[in-house]
Amino acid sequence: MNSGIAINGVGVVGGFGYGISALGLALKRPERFTENVTIQTSDGPHTVPVYLADTSQLTNYLPKRALRRIDHYSRMALLGAFLALEDAGELESDRKRMGVIIATGYGALHTSFDFMDSVIDFGDPLASPTLFSNSVHNAAAAHVSIFLKATGPSLTVSQFEMSIPSALISAVSWLEQGRVDSVLFGGVDEYCDVLGYCLHQFFGYNGNDIKPFDFERQSAIAGEGAAFFLLSRSKKTDSSYGFIENVKVSSMVNGEPVIPEGSILFIGADGHVQCGRRYERFLSEDLPLTAYSPLYGSMPVGPGFDMAVAALSIRSGRLFVIPDNMGIKNQSKSELITQKIDSRPIYCLKIGPGGGYGMIALTSIK
Amino acid sequence: MKPGNPVAVSGIGCLCAQGINLSACMDSVFNRRQKPAPPVGFSSSHPVSYPVFEILTDLDLSGLDTKKEILRTSQLALIAAQDAIVDSGLTPELLAKKKVGVCIGTTVGSALNNEEFYRSYREGKHPDMLPIKRFLNSNPASCIAEEFKLSGPCQTVVNACSSGSDAIGTAASWIRSGVCDIVLAGGADELSRITYNGFISLMITDSKPCRPFDRNRNGLNLGEGSAILVLESESTLHEREQKSRAFIYGYGSASDAYHLTAPKPDGEGLRKALSEAMAASGVAAGDIAFINAHGTGTRDNDRVEGNVIGTVFQSIPFFSNKGYTGHTLGAAGAIGAAFTIACLENQRVPANAGFKEEDPELSISPTTFPSEISGSFAVSESLAFGGNNAVLVLGKERL
Repeated sequence: MNSGIAINGVGVVGGFGYGISALGLALKRPERFTENVTIQTSDGPHTVPVYLADTSQLTNYLPKRALRRIDHYSRMALLGAFLALEDAGELESDRKRMGVIIATGYGALHTSFDFMDSVIDFGDPLASPTLFSNSVHNAAAAHVSIFLKATGPSLTVSQFEMSIPSALISAVSWLEQGRVDSVLFGGVDEYCDVLGYCLHQFFGYNGNDIKPFDFERQSAIAGEGAAFFLLSRSKKTDSSYGFIENVKVSSMVNGEPVIPEGSILFIGADGHVQCGRRYERFLSEDLPLTAYSPLYGSMPVGPGFDMAVAALSIRSGRLFVIPDNMGIKNQSKSELITQKIDSRPIYCLKIGPGGGYGMIALTSIK
Repeated sequence: MKPGNPVAVSGIGCLCAQGINLSACMDSVFNRRQKPAPPVGFSSSHPVSYPVFEILTDLDLSGLDTKKEILRTSQLALIAAQDAIVDSGLTPELLAKKKVGVCIGTTVGSALNNEEFYRSYREGKHPDMLPIKRFLNSNPASCIAEEFKLSGPCQTVVNACSSGSDAIGTAASWIRSGVCDIVLAGGADELSRITYNGFISLMITDSKPCRPFDRNRNGLNLGEGSAILVLESESTLHEREQKSRAFIYGYGSASDAYHLTAPKPDGEGLRKALSEAMAASGVAAGDIAFINAHGTGTRDNDRVEGNVIGTVFQSIPFFSNKGYTGHTLGAAGAIGAAFTIACLENQRVPANAGFKEEDPELSISPTTFPSEISGSFAVSESLAFGGNNAVLVLGKERL
């Protein structure tokens, strides 16, 4: 598949801040973007780092009053959506032929548990209808469509780590078939205390830094955020953020992913040992290779952030060097990524714990 | 939009409160009709017991390889998928050679909301992680892909109550664009205390058997089930000299962009979805033999949908299968599509169960008794929380 679908705008919010400028700054001056939160564990309360997203800037686009009943999950999606449209210069455009596609691994976690709180605290007959209706995974897409008056098709996909590449296949398909003129495409996932408890029960305490290239040690740190893109079919041969060259979702049952020679590879390793080891073989291939999870954290829609970094790299014409403390084993790889991108495609590869994988390839030329 | 090539349906698996396969379901719909009853699988403290359409027979997983702990939703999906594959005549060897994708709609099957686990967590205990592992094992599309060793794209659609229709429409586009040779597409959802309490809290649940399009309708009954369709490219079907059962002629979807739970009063989103689906199908409204409406039995849904059907299709017969299946949420659109294909095959539609009295707010009324129909095309509609509207145009043969 060579879709020729252009990325016209990018909107991101995460632990690093909000907007493409904040992401660019974070890439140039990486630091620790986590905050400490206290979680309940079987050994008592623990303080752990988490990448948290601040959505207060959403009031730049919507009045506070309109946001009263909008939860954090939908606010992150809304902020990502507005930022992507603004970045594309399309805040004021007509959206009758714009589709909305949102990927999420876990959906509105806070609201789902808040709804159960209402049942447990007040009894079945007094469960909260507002919390229930906002707990569905497609609540974010609904709010995006309502606030943006987007009356085209809407799709929400939940495929854990494969949510982004899986949903992107549908976005490309809609555009190729002419169903819509543009797609506001994004991923969103949120952190909550219960998730923190679950991660601690499964993986224990993992330290303060994600080490994506340390395949022997669990170092994942939970993150939350949203990464959105305005996509369209383009007649032009150039696009500042590049084009989607290829999207593939498959399983290693039928063979390992193949990255074409001459490509650049972003691996989605985010400190999970079980998945991380599956990336190890790519270190021995002669590919410029890097990982950016230490900027945004570990979450199912992480590939959306890799896609945003790839788009920004294409716009900049060169890759962003990640610091050594992120756990690169092979220094020559680090040197390789200082090269210019030129016309080489960037492959964003995510491998799931079950052996499923997703690949998104961006290129600067159509 | 120009009409696209119709996509063949070579196999169907379906189970719901009416039966454990599609023919059993249709037999029950036309001859017996299982009525809704208070839930057996869970209890609640509501002063009124709201009836549900529950599958009361044990689920037979004996023919499946899966040994993992998975949610009931995924069990339902696996059973329907297995039946659909058998019905299609596909073998594991054939499946291994082709690009086979999976696209499944659900709501409950994607929600991290195990109540027992959360109650224990809230009490400061340290709940066992089994419910979380079970949830992580249970992505319906992944479960099907793993069980049948499929290597194509997997997508679980979570568009609330239109998920099943959206999954089938999406899968058809994967076939048309060459992303896949074959796609297992449909929906699955189980009854759950969470959704039971949620729908009752919204005051759109009837304490009696639901009455879609009736003047005195008072809400929906929840149900559970799954339907999976095997969609197949023309070349694959031709290669193995297999006949199709039906075709997906068109799919359209549109957002109301109006309200989180209520449909837009003028039905604009549904009209837009219908318009896209009909244009994509190349079929004229006058060639539609019947409509399987979303028809949940809620005041708002049936008013909006009834008026749109009346405007677009005038006197074409229509019914809702919710009086037989209940509202199966993420499975509803897929079960609706399976029932629609079965009705096209039999050239017969059932009575709209629960309907007794015409609603003066509507210009039309649904079928009141089983009727013979004549025609090759039908429409299946879904409306959803979030303002989603999805429409499938189905045909029994290639033109």
